[in-house]
Amino acid sequence: MSTAGFKDYAQHFAESRAAVVSLAVSLAFVACAIFAPLLSPTDPYDLTQLQLSDALKPTGSTRMLPGEEVRANIRIDGSATSVQPATPAKTHVTLVAEPCGLNCLGVGVQPEGTRLANLQIRNLPAGATVEGARKHPVQSWWTVDNPEGGKVRIASNGPLPATFTFLAIARSMDQETDFVFHLGTDSFGRDMFSAILYGVRISVFVGLVAAGAAMVIGTGLGLLSAWRGGITDAIIMRAVDFMLGLPALLVGLAILAILGNGVSKVVLAIVIVQWSYYARTARSFAMSELGKEYVEAARCLRLSPARIMLRHVLPNCMPQIIVLFTLNIASAISLESSLSFLGVGLPLTRPSLGMLIASGYEFIFSHKYWISIYPGIVLLVMIVAMNLLGDRLRDLNNPRLDR
Amino acid sequence: MNETIFEARDLSRSFSVGSSPLRDFADHFLRDRPPKVLRAVDNVSLSLREGETLGIVGESGCGKSTLARMIAGILPASSGERRFRDEPYESFLARNRDALKVQMVFQDPLSSLNPRLRVGDIIGEAAVLHGLVRRPQIKDYVADILSQVGLPADSMGRYPHQFSGGQRQRIGIARALAVKPDMLICDEAVAALDVSVQAQIINLLMDIKQDSGLAMIFISHDLGVIRHLCDRVAVMYLGRVVELTETEQLFASPLHPYTRMLLEGMPKISLQRRRFMPIQGEIPSPLSPPSGCHFHPRCPMATEHCGRIRPELREASSGHVHACLNIEPC
Ligand SMILES: Nc1ncnc2c1ncn2[C@@H]1O[C@H](COP(=O)(O)OP(=O)(O)OP(=O)(O)O)[C@@H](O)[C@H]1O
Ligand code: SF4
Ligand SMILES: [Mg+2]
Repeated sequence: MSTAGFKDYAQHFAESRAAVVSLAVSLAFVACAIFAPLLSPTDPYDLTQLQLSDALKPTGSTRMLPGEEVRANIRIDGSATSVQPATPAKTHVTLVAEPCGLNCLGVGVQPEGTRLANLQIRNLPAGATVEGARKHPVQSWWTVDNPEGGKVRIASNGPLPATFTFLAIARSMDQETDFVFHLGTDSFGRDMFSAILYGVRISVFVGLVAAGAAMVIGTGLGLLSAWRGGITDAIIMRAVDFMLGLPALLVGLAILAILGNGVSKVVLAIVIVQWSYYARTARSFAMSELGKEYVEAARCLRLSPARIMLRHVLPNCMPQIIVLFTLNIASAISLESSLSFLGVGLPLTRPSLGMLIASGYEFIFSHKYWISIYPGIVLLVMIVAMNLLGDRLRDLNNPRLDR
Repeated sequence: MNETIFEARDLSRSFSVGSSPLRDFADHFLRDRPPKVLRAVDNVSLSLREGETLGIVGESGCGKSTLARMIAGILPASSGERRFRDEPYESFLARNRDALKVQMVFQDPLSSLNPRLRVGDIIGEAAVLHGLVRRPQIKDYVADILSQVGLPADSMGRYPHQFSGGQRQRIGIARALAVKPDMLICDEAVAALDVSVQAQIINLLMDIKQDSGLAMIFISHDLGVIRHLCDRVAVMYLGRVVELTETEQLFASPLHPYTRMLLEGMPKISLQRRRFMPIQGEIPSPLSPPSGCHFHPRCPMATEHCGRIRPELREASSGHVHACLNIEPC
């Protein structure tokens, strides 16, 4: 398209405010899809980050840090102390020890201010006691419940031995963090905001790839049909009629029932459903272009059929195909969501919007609306925006509508 | 130069109308009805000499464009033979680079130019692809062709819609000239233009012809233009050539009744457009042409055998042929 032509086109496009808004919204969604890992506060695919205590939390609640038990062997060697954690996994809380004066040793936890259910010290050398602790009747185990400031003091009447080792066990209490689940959490404790961002990413990715692949295949077949005519045309167009006669969702369900679920299979199913739209459109516009004299001129210049179709005819059909592409991204996204909602689309570990809606469905009657509603609103806005955009582009291409 | 550059012998082209492969199939097996066939060009024989301009006139729908496309090699013939410099067209067209020797200029200046290509690409594409020029030289080459057709070199970077009708037709002519043709077919190349612009384009074509000695086939409605431009003229009626002779001869002593009616309809003194007047009687449908001589329902000289016998082309005098049963050989 010439630059002047493009400017004109952009101006006509901008005459409709709805179109501009829908273009902005569509682009915003694409940006969300691209930058989801940067925008999202958590990684919803990292199952190790999930904790059941966060499950089904409503909008605006904060993340709880569940209580944990930390053990460490603490060795005192003269004035040096060394803390050797005995808990295998990484923990939020770590034990620390430091002298607190003559014949006194403080044991506490980091970070500062962590509230502990109790702190237990085991195997102290003879003569040492823990302040304010109850002692195990038999063993040398000292337990302080709810220690103040999360700290206990080991003291002794006489001097402490120069070298000794003891075991400290801290049990922290459930804690609130300042991480807010702005859109609540789902039944796995996933942050809905992050899940929606990643869901948009998957939906947009599936929509673009599937609609794009369908466009390439369908347009290719449509051009072939228009160029060859005759029996090739008849076969391809009967196949198109057949595909157009079947409900898209049913075809998608059948294909996924055979192939099983997964991103590539959903894309394949959408391509099988959608190629026929492009084939029909590309064929009809290519036919009308083929009737124009510039094509005859190109043939007279003995250009190859492939060159005539791809360089001369195709660019003249492209505006219509782009319109169809815009509309088909939206319908690819909604088809993918429907399939995922029905449980045959994408795997549960990588939820798309449809899957999120489905996973919240069972909770909607217990007033846990946020799991289904927010992804639903996002999906709705995305599809409406893309449809409005496609409609506007189609109107601009229709010479019968006076611009 | 009297050698023949192009020759057509018994060239015909039929179109099956209103049918699809599926319907043909059904018709074939179920009703055994022959598909409806339109004979757009019916046994046309003509030849073109090197450097000569041959005019083709006839009413709308008589098959001029169909004939032109067959001559240009962009429409297959249903039957008959075409030869370029004594070589059958099948082998001639198979060699792409040689086939460039036959080029065509189209009627509609806008739809004959691809709206998405810049003028430089429209003109230069084929020359580069077929190796007539190398890519680095293409700009100079196109600028040179543009100046030949009277357009500034900076037209190259613009798109067809930025030009006027006459300029577009110049681009169309430049596109044909860019591949160095020996034979140019102009299918109503000026019909869509204003009268004043028509004259410019006709002058341009005449200049080109004089400079390069192109052989030309010039199709037109306009007898005045034909008389001005052509060495010989073929008159067509419903797919057939009914008279073919030197231009002088045709205008001085037309033989076929149809030609005479055309010439009578032509205003004698007029500086304005000289289109032919509508002839009495309706133009018969090319789908079911009259039997025998196609012209007999409208012919003032018709006799009863005109409706039965198909008149073949016969020679009245040297180089003057016609297809009428009722003209005595002189
Ligand atoms: N592709 C086609 N399919 C069916 N019929 C065709 C086709 N091309 C041409 N015809 C028919 O063949 C006949 C001759 O058409 P053609 O275009 O050659 O006439 P023409 O003399 O160039 O007319 P005009 O002066 O209007 O350009 C017409 O009746 C037309 O309808
Ligand atoms: S053959 Fe008969 S009908 Fe045909 S032009 Fe001659 S006189 Fe007229
Ligand atoms: Mg024509």
